Formats: sequence, structure tokens, C-alpha cells
Amino acid sequence: MTHAFLIARQEFIKYVTRRGFWLSILMFPLWIMIVIFVPQWTGGGHDNAPHALTIVDRSGGFYRDAILQQVAQDTEDRELAAAAHYAAAFVDFGQLPRSTAQMLAKPDTVQARRAYRSLGMVVLVDEMTAALKPGAPFFGPPGARFIYVPPSRELLAARGAALDFAVTRTLRDGDGPLDIDAVVVIPEGFGPDSADGAQFWRGKNESDLRALVTDSLTLALRLAVAQRYAPVLRNRDMLTPAVIDTLSGPAILDIRNPNRAGGRETSMDSIVPIALAIILFVVSVMNSSVLLQGVVEEKSTRMIEVLLSCATPREITSGKLIGVIAVALATLLIWAAVFLALITLVSQDQAAMILTSLKAVVSLGTLPLLIVYFLCGLLIYGTLFLAIGSMASSLADAQSLLGPSMLILMLPNLLIAPVMRDPNGPLATAFSWIPIYTPFFMMLRISSHPPLWQIWATAALAIATTAAMIVWTGRIFARHVLTTERPPALGVLLRGLLGRRG
Amino acid sequence: MSARMTEPVVALSHITKRFGDFIAVNDLSFALARGSILGFLGPNGAGKTTTLRMMLGIFPPDTGTIRVLGRDVGQVRERIGYLPEERGLYKRMRADAAIAYIATLKGMRRGAALARARELLKEFGLGDFAQVRIEGLSKGMAQKVQLLSAVVHDPEFVILDEPFSGLDPVNQTELEAFIRKLAGEGKTILFSTHTMQHAERLCDRLLILAKGTKRFEGTLEEARGLLPRRARIGGEGDLSFLARLPGVTRATPPAQGQPHWLLDLKEGDDGRALLAACFARGVPLTHFDVSPPELHDVFVALVGAGPQKAAA
Repeated sequence: MTHAFLIARQEFIKYVTRRGFWLSILMFPLWIMIVIFVPQWTGGGHDNAPHALTIVDRSGGFYRDAILQQVAQDTEDRELAAAAHYAAAFVDFGQLPRSTAQMLAKPDTVQARRAYRSLGMVVLVDEMTAALKPGAPFFGPPGARFIYVPPSRELLAARGAALDFAVTRTLRDGDGPLDIDAVVVIPEGFGPDSADGAQFWRGKNESDLRALVTDSLTLALRLAVAQRYAPVLRNRDMLTPAVIDTLSGPAILDIRNPNRAGGRETSMDSIVPIALAIILFVVSVMNSSVLLQGVVEEKSTRMIEVLLSCATPREITSGKLIGVIAVALATLLIWAAVFLALITLVSQDQAAMILTSLKAVVSLGTLPLLIVYFLCGLLIYGTLFLAIGSMASSLADAQSLLGPSMLILMLPNLLIAPVMRDPNGPLATAFSWIPIYTPFFMMLRISSHPPLWQIWATAALAIATTAAMIVWTGRIFARHVLTTERPPALGVLLRGLLGRRG
Repeated sequence: MSARMTEPVVALSHITKRFGDFIAVNDLSFALARGSILGFLGPNGAGKTTTLRMMLGIFPPDTGTIRVLGRDVGQVRERIGYLPEERGLYKRMRADAAIAYIATLKGMRRGAALARARELLKEFGLGDFAQVRIEGLSKGMAQKVQLLSAVVHDPEFVILDEPFSGLDPVNQTELEAFIRKLAGEGKTILFSTHTMQHAERLCDRLLILAKGTKRFEGTLEEARGLLPRRARIGGEGDLSFLARLPGVTRATPPAQGQPHWLLDLKEGDDGRALLAACFARGVPLTHFDVSPPELHDVFVALVGAGPQKAAA
């Protein structure tokens, strides 16, 4: 195995010292950032319909009121911002009352908010109308982004499994003509010290609501801490914002999905598995392609002949595959570091949310499985590309073999959406049993708790397939790597794989 | 002498290798004594490279056995050095790292391998290029680096496949000297070539292969002895009587650029009868020599002949 590790070391150095490697390493996290943030920045991730929210607060109403206050604040902020934007273009500030002009000139300040709250939209519109420039269009105040819908009697009364049922029905049926986008359940005794988090039941369009609820509960928890400790402290100055933050911490939501058994899920449980599967695909294809190019290059420069005079074909193929694994792991680590650094710079809340989600998907129980799936997926791609490289006498030859193979290997990417809609349905289950697809489909399904026997049986099948592919690739490599002819016919190849002379 | 010293470095016994229906090497046997230089000659497609690859363990033979340094080749890879016909190194590697990499694969420790690589590069006038990538070296320099990577680990048996191809005359001379130096150090060398002059100058023994079959194995003198001698005679007057002499098998009269008669002699004939005939006729000679055939002629004759007819 010494030879294999020496070759692996050389392969690793060869790949990581290429400029293209570092370009692709840095491009991917940036690409992910763009996918996550650009829709948010451009507003593409939002629709204009208001998001309806129902709150069941069993702790007394303090936290419900905090959320509602945040809902009202959000509406006021939007209205004030829209009015300021309109006024800047169409209103003569000299004809406005001084306080109103100041408010519209600096709408982001606390003073402006207070002024708007006491003034109200109706009076503000009247004052602006009196000061309009000629030809100004009509001003239509924006609608509220969030709407509060009081809970039904059924929701208020339900407990335990009945509550899950009632929430599911509310999210499915809505409130009359209105769709409910999220239901928040605040348990009894909820507060800075409580073990249970507030339940956040996801509906169809809840992503903005989740941030609103998290923010408002975080503020409410801080207030609760301040209210609790202020009376018992001699020196109230000790309650600095940092101390309060430490005592209260951010509000962690217990995100639930009514479509899943038990309802419980992490806050990004659909995104994390998809991301893991896509990362597996990208890392596998990226590194396996470099492996293929390397073998074709070694064939064309006859370096392969020198290697074969030093080590056996099995040592060479093992070394190359170990090298690819090392490069892939390095890729993942660098991606994780760059991605977390970038996302922390852009949004600490998002970073915390992603870490929380990762912790939920990548637990001590699932980590070994994820590693097995990752290695199997990587090695299945790696061995296939290595076999193609050893049979091809040029990159053009390799491309002709790679085309059909890629069409087969890319299939899981096309099935991500239907699989995620029904992770334990017949489609997902059937494809999980095809060994070359097992790593991808099981990564997609892992957080949906597929049956345990399926997890272990498919993992065993994937391991066995990977081992067989390593053996077969060794045979193909030994048989074809020194030939300069065109790739063999399928029949010759199969006879070679079975150890027969062709 | 110990058994280790007397046993052949390489012993091939009835080796056959097929690729599909094509017989690349057919029932080949030979042995190579320690410390000798064997020239492995043959036209393109003769099976030389296939035989070398079998000796290196890259291909297994279909039938027959190969023993290298008294063992199966898989057990002695680290004691063999190999220079392939088509040079191959990683273009983006530095010269010293490229040599050291092969050395580590041959069992040297990385530090020692790197130090030895730099030492050899300096010895070959490439000390200033040790840190230069292969792609930045001239063709001649890259070939030297490749050669050094074949011998950096101090192998006992060195296989050089067409080592002179692509080298200019100066580098060819340097390489010849280097091969002699290696032989002087007691290493056994096998090199394949189809340039006869190198084989004539360097080899203790020759093995000629054609169409996968051994056509000759022996010393240069033995090879030359396979063909009759040739006489070159120049003189005043009519020398056409030489063609009718009993010891002459073929006579070529002087032509443009060739002032002498060329006379192929019968096997065993040393040409004295020709000289005697000239004296008897009172021909004033301007040139007379009888010499053994060139290896080139032997090679052409053997490669063109059938395998059974010419095999030694």
C-alpha cells in the first residue's frame, strides 16, 4: 500500500496546485451565495400576497402580543417607507408641516416611526395631497405583509396529538377564503429558561414569517429577562444589552411540517439534504473529471508506463482513488469554511440557521451513513471515470464514452423535486435501490426518516457495488491503459471484466 | 563466485504474448548475465517493447516464465530502472521533484531521493534547472531528467527502451558514456534500439527480434560471422575477371561514387584467392580490403529471413 499512498499524495498535490482547482473551489460557494441571496435582494423570493399567521399562546399572551407588535411595526415601516419614497418624488416638502417633512425626510429613525404612529396614514395622505407637485400620481399605500388570524376554537382547545391534527387542518384548509401560512404554538411556561421552544408550523409560504417570529420572540425574551431581573438588582445598570443577550439568547424555533410523520423538522430540512446531494454530485464530477483527464494525459505522455514499472495496476488505481477522496475532502472543508465565512459576513442569522439545520441533519446517528454514502458516491463516479480514462486514447475518445455515462449519472438531479415532495414514496424508494443512485437518493431522504432496514440494506448494497467497481476498474485499467487503440467494444469489455480473455 | 553472481539477471523461458489474434512475442527465450550490456534489436513491431514490458511486470506473458534477479519481477521492481521509449513526466512537476517521485516509488525515502536527484542533476549539468518545471526544460534536458529518474535509485538492472531516439549527436555521445559508466559500476543493461552503430559500439551481446521471434542471439562477432565477408578491390585495367572467380558469389562493378568492385565472398573465404588472382594477372591494385559485414547488413539479412533459417 506504500505505493498507493505515494501515488495518492502525488495525485493530491497535482490537483490542488492547479489554478483551475482553486478557481472552482472559490466559485462554488459564491454561486451558492448568489442562489440564496440574490432572490432575497432583488425581491424575487417574495410574492406580494400577505402572509397569514395564527398564534396559539398558552403562556399567557405576552409572546403573542410581542409578535403582533412586530407585525404592526412591519406594516408601519412599509407604509412610512413607501410614503417617504413617494414624497421625495412628488411632494413639495416646503408646503408640508415641519414635523411631517422631517419624518418623511428621515423615515428610518425612531423619531420618524413615533411621529408616523401618532399621525396615522389617513392624516399623512391628506397632508401630502395638499402639498403635491403638479402632475403627481395617486398615492396608494402598500398593504400589510403579514396578517394575524386569531386561532379557531378547535386550535385553542386542542392538546397533544389533537393539536397536531388541528394545526394540520388549519394549514390545509385555511380560514375561510384565506390561506394560513404558519401557525405558532407557544407552550405553557415558555420563557428564557424553558426547555421547550415555540413551535413554528410551516405552511405554503412561510419563510418571511419565520424570520419575523424569530426576531419578535428574541426581543420578547430579552424584555422578559429585563423585567425579571430589574426588580432584584440594586444596580440596574448591570443589565446591559450584552448581559440581557447572554441571559435570553436568540429564540430557537421548533420548526414543524404538517406533511411529515411527527411534524418535526429542522428549519432548512429540505434545503440541507438537497444541498448535500448536489454537493456530492458536483464534488464527484469535478474531481472525477480531473482524474479522467490525468489518466488520459498520463497515457499520452507515457508516464503511465513509468508508473506501471514501479507499481501494480491495483496500487495505481487505489492511489488515484485515494487521491481523489483526499482532494474531495479538502474541497468540502474549504467550501464549508469559505461558505460559512461569506454567509456570516452577509447575515449572521442565516449562518446560525444553517448551522442549526446542519446539526439536525448531520447528527451522530446519521454522520457515519452520510460518510458512507459520500464515499460510495464519490468512488462510483471515480471508478467509472478512471475506467473511461484508461480505455480512451484521447480526450475526444473519453468524451464519446463520457456522454452516455453522464446522462445516466445525472438522473438523480432531475428527480430531486419529486423525491423531495414525497421522500418515502415509491419513486424515491425504488431509485434508492439502484446502487449507483443510492448515495444521492439516500442523502435526499435521510432527514425524512426512511425505514431503518432500508437505510442499512441500501448502504450495504452501495458498499458492495463500490467494491465491485473498484475491482472491475482495476481489471479494465490493467488491460487497456497501455493500449492506444480506440475503446473496446462492449462485449470485449464485459469479457475482460469477468476475467475472460477477449 | 557465489550463485547470486553467476545466475542470470534476466531469464526468459519460452515466452509467448498474444493480443487477440496477434502474436506479439512468440516462444522467446534468452538469459542475460550480470554486468553485461545486451542490445535488443529489431524493426518496428518486432515485439521489443512488449518483451521489455513483460520483463518489467507490466504485462504477464500468456505462456512461459520470466525471472528477474532470480525472482518474480513483482518482488524486484525496486531493483530495476526503466527508461520508456516515449518519454513521460508530469509537465508541471519540478525537475528534482519528478526524479525524486520515481525514486520514492522505487523505495527511496523522500528526503534522500530529493537530495540524490539534485546531486545527479548537478552532475549532468542541470543543477541550475532543478527547480524548473519539466514544461520549462528543453527536449534534451527533459530527456536527461527522464534518464536520471530511471537510475536515481541505483538499480541493479537497467532497461532502456530506445534511449538514443530524439537525442542530438552530442547528447548521444554523452548517453553512450553514461551507459558505459553504469556498466562499469556492475549494473546489467538491456537497451533496445534499431540504430546499429550504438549497438556495435556498446553491446557485449545482441539479440535480434523480428515479428515476435528471436532471429539471433550472440556477440557482435558471431553476428558478423553469419554473413560472408565482402571484398573491395580497386585497380587499373579490366577487373571483370573477379566476378568469375570461384570464391565470389556476387560482384558489383564500380559505379558513380563507388570506385571499387564490391565482391561478396563465399562463406569461409578470406579473400586471399582474389589477391593471388590479381597478382597473377599483373593488375596494379589501388585498393584492396576484405572485411566482415556491417551489423546493419546482418540485421537486414536476418530480419528479412525466415525465423527458423536464421536463428542462432
